[in-house]
Amino acid sequence: MIDVRENILARLVAIVATMPSIKNVYRNNVDLTEDQLPAAAVLDGDEETGDHTDHSQHPSNRPTLATMTPEIIIFKLAPQVGPDISTLRRELIKLVLYDTELNEQIIGTGRFGNGTIRYLGCQTDLGWERSMFGALKANFQFKYPLKPDDLL
Amino acid sequence: MIDYSAVLFDPVYAELGVSAMLTTTSGVFEITVIDDTRAKMQTSNNVDVRSVGPGAFARIPELTSKGIDRADYISSVLSFNGRMWVVRSYDLRGSPNGEDVGEVRFLLRSDD
Repeated sequence: MIDVRENILARLVAIVATMPSIKNVYRNNVDLTEDQLPAAAVLDGDEETGDHTDHSQHPSNRPTLATMTPEIIIFKLAPQVGPDISTLRRELIKLVLYDTELNEQIIGTGRFGNGTIRYLGCQTDLGWERSMFGALKANFQFKYPLKPDDLL
Repeated sequence: MIDYSAVLFDPVYAELGVSAMLTTTSGVFEITVIDDTRAKMQTSNNVDVRSVGPGAFARIPELTSKGIDRADYISSVLSFNGRMWVVRSYDLRGSPNGEDVGEVRFLLRSDD
């Protein structure tokens, strides 16, 4: 069985775990405490195929292209949280876009296949807790082949 | 007119207040505060991050009598209950006798 979607999400957790300034990485954990920070959360993203516009008579189990938009959120408490979040953003974008396993083996981008990885942008969130709280949500789009045969 | 300092604030501070050291650009002052550190949660993209929102109440008449002006509040250092904080902002709580004889709630942050 090859589940590209799951492989991407698992790889994202592994990639974020290599960031030197991140203490903890979680998958789908939506309840953190300050002692766990700086932390990152990889949240499973929506998946779309665009096949709702496909009116052809091809078999229903034909391979198609799927697009997933998972969320990677970084959290930090620090007196000057802005520069820290900027540093983490730079590290994260570069790690995801340049990851060899993700590009060559899982998704197949460029000369390895017809998949793509795109960085769509980010949103920030600020507030006060014990210290200044900063969060940055990075949005990536992953396009990859979905082959129903592989799912069995 | 009821003297709210005499019948309300002073008795409450006598029971709940703790000794604190307030360090401003004008000097170091011993004052009485009520610890108002509360649970605080920040939600970002459906992820809750739990921490505390440190805070403390003080009586403005006590501050004024010790020469601590409103302009001294922000960036002063307040230590009490074994912890040291920096005043990042404050709320004037007012009083039926006027804001100058009411309370101030210091909004605090970690000093590191």
